[in-house]
Amino acid sequence: MTKIIYISLVLLLLYSCRKGEDIKPEFYDCSFNFADSSAANPDNNKYQALLDEMTSNGVVGVTMSVYRPQTGMWVGASGKSDLHNDVDMKPCNISRVGSTVKMFTAVTVLLLKEEGKLDLDDKISDYLQGDVIDNIENADIATIRQLLQHSSGIYNYIQNLEFQTASLNDLIREWKPEDLLKYAYNKKAYFQSDEDVRYSNTGYILLGMLIEKIEGKPFYEVFEEKLFGPLGMTLTKFAAKDHVPEGIVRGYIDMYSNLQVLESTYFSGWDYYTADGGLISNPYDMSVFFQTLMNGQIVSDQSLNEMLTWKMPDETDPGFFPIYYGLGIFKIETSKGIAYMHSGDAIGYYANMLYFPDDSTTIVYAVNSNYGKIDQFVSTKEAMENILDVLK
Amino acid sequence: MTKTLFLFIVVIIFVSSYGDLKGQERAIPVNISLFNESTAIPFTRFFSTPAHPGILVGTEFNYKEKEHSRLFQTANISYFYHNYLAQGAGINTELGYERTLKSGLAFEGLFGIGYMHTFATTEEFSFSDGQYLKKTDKGNARLFPSFSIDIGYYLKKGEINNGKIFIRYQLWAEYPYSPDFIPVMTHVNLHVGAKFFINKKAKKND
Repeated sequence: MTKIIYISLVLLLLYSCRKGEDIKPEFYDCSFNFADSSAANPDNNKYQALLDEMTSNGVVGVTMSVYRPQTGMWVGASGKSDLHNDVDMKPCNISRVGSTVKMFTAVTVLLLKEEGKLDLDDKISDYLQGDVIDNIENADIATIRQLLQHSSGIYNYIQNLEFQTASLNDLIREWKPEDLLKYAYNKKAYFQSDEDVRYSNTGYILLGMLIEKIEGKPFYEVFEEKLFGPLGMTLTKFAAKDHVPEGIVRGYIDMYSNLQVLESTYFSGWDYYTADGGLISNPYDMSVFFQTLMNGQIVSDQSLNEMLTWKMPDETDPGFFPIYYGLGIFKIETSKGIAYMHSGDAIGYYANMLYFPDDSTTIVYAVNSNYGKIDQFVSTKEAMENILDVLK
Repeated sequence: MTKTLFLFIVVIIFVSSYGDLKGQERAIPVNISLFNESTAIPFTRFFSTPAHPGILVGTEFNYKEKEHSRLFQTANISYFYHNYLAQGAGINTELGYERTLKSGLAFEGLFGIGYMHTFATTEEFSFSDGQYLKKTDKGNARLFPSFSIDIGYYLKKGEINNGKIFIRYQLWAEYPYSPDFIPVMTHVNLHVGAKFFINKKAKKND
């Protein structure tokens, strides 16, 4: 009897592991809508060596774009887009780029301001009512500008341990904005509005709801109409319409910090429907957006100036660059100079976009693996310094 | 799921009673329970969905026993399957205190410590020599401390080998979980189970 139980247990452990999805390599085929001359770029070998170093350290796959006015656009990739099917990463491949969407949310709000549909100093409660205002401390007094700048003091639902364990408990759940906001209900605000700055995803969910209230349609459709379409961002989309669209690279997590990765492509259901995450793009499209924005070709000079008006947090993180908060954008002081940036995480994905105002260099990279030991090669201060040492 | 649970409860009530039918001689107690595992912060949730099934089989012995209370030690093996996240097999022991009422109701508190080995439930790729390769999952070693409270009901009051049915709320932690990332993972198991007795003498005669 004991032997039967033992054998059954061993068989159960061995055979209850889900195998990866068989996907044909053509699924990942993609192409750019510009003449790619990266191979002729004088820094091509240097840039490619950087990407190869990242993947040789344990990053599963990486795509990158580097734009310099003197040498133009360079795009490259290294590693794998799909480990189970052994498919190489391509520069045009799309992946989840998480919170980088906040810059798109902020720009959309600024465009609505320019259209006279709102004022940045209006209270969010002038537009939204009900539970989301009544149950979130500071939501009744926070202005749109404060939400954009993370100066509302509103509690960040992602910090709630109950949310973190609940999302692990149901890794493929698709969360609606109201489900997520409940984790900020009745939580003490970090500070009185406008007293300090502290990152809050909750504020950006409210901003997505604001866009929907004003435009009468899903906020991601407003992104498509005002940004993706006009800027020719042909490969950029939002997860709400198709959670795992054709061509998206597989995501992987180093869950136990031992460089043994698990596939997590379907695990980001908490940002499919909210304006604090959920963007799917590639480094070329994101670079086009960032450059065009900084060139003053999306919003007016006045709006851009408001976006680039900075606040420094009272407490700085000694483990990161000195950082300043703008409207949906950050300024950091690197050893290579001032950079404007926004990064983003999803489960199994990370992306970062940086713009150096001194020479207009624009760097965007996206990886399809994160957490555990991988973060030290992609998202920490040391990782960014290593990347900038080569690129800037 | 509800049907399975109902069937399980019927079976354990029968098994608990069966132990008693074998006579009054002191026999080996066996605890068996089915449980729903969840990653959760302690005392924030009673039952979570989706259900992640688990099973526990164990025994116990008394250190001290009085008319309405006892101090005892358990020894258990358990298994759970958490969809997409992990599956684990563990052994543990608990120090327990039980208080019984005349009505047959019983309340327990248990502090436990154990070893668990967890395995991925999705395909795993290991990094070696600059590339990721599919490898047999050797799993991860974990320490698992636990604290449980349960409420039970003794089916035949006054008998030595008295079967019991119970509902147990178990809090446990998985350590180390992910060094420098998530040091500890907390879980909640909700058990439905029974204690019955295996009568050694009866077994020999079978």
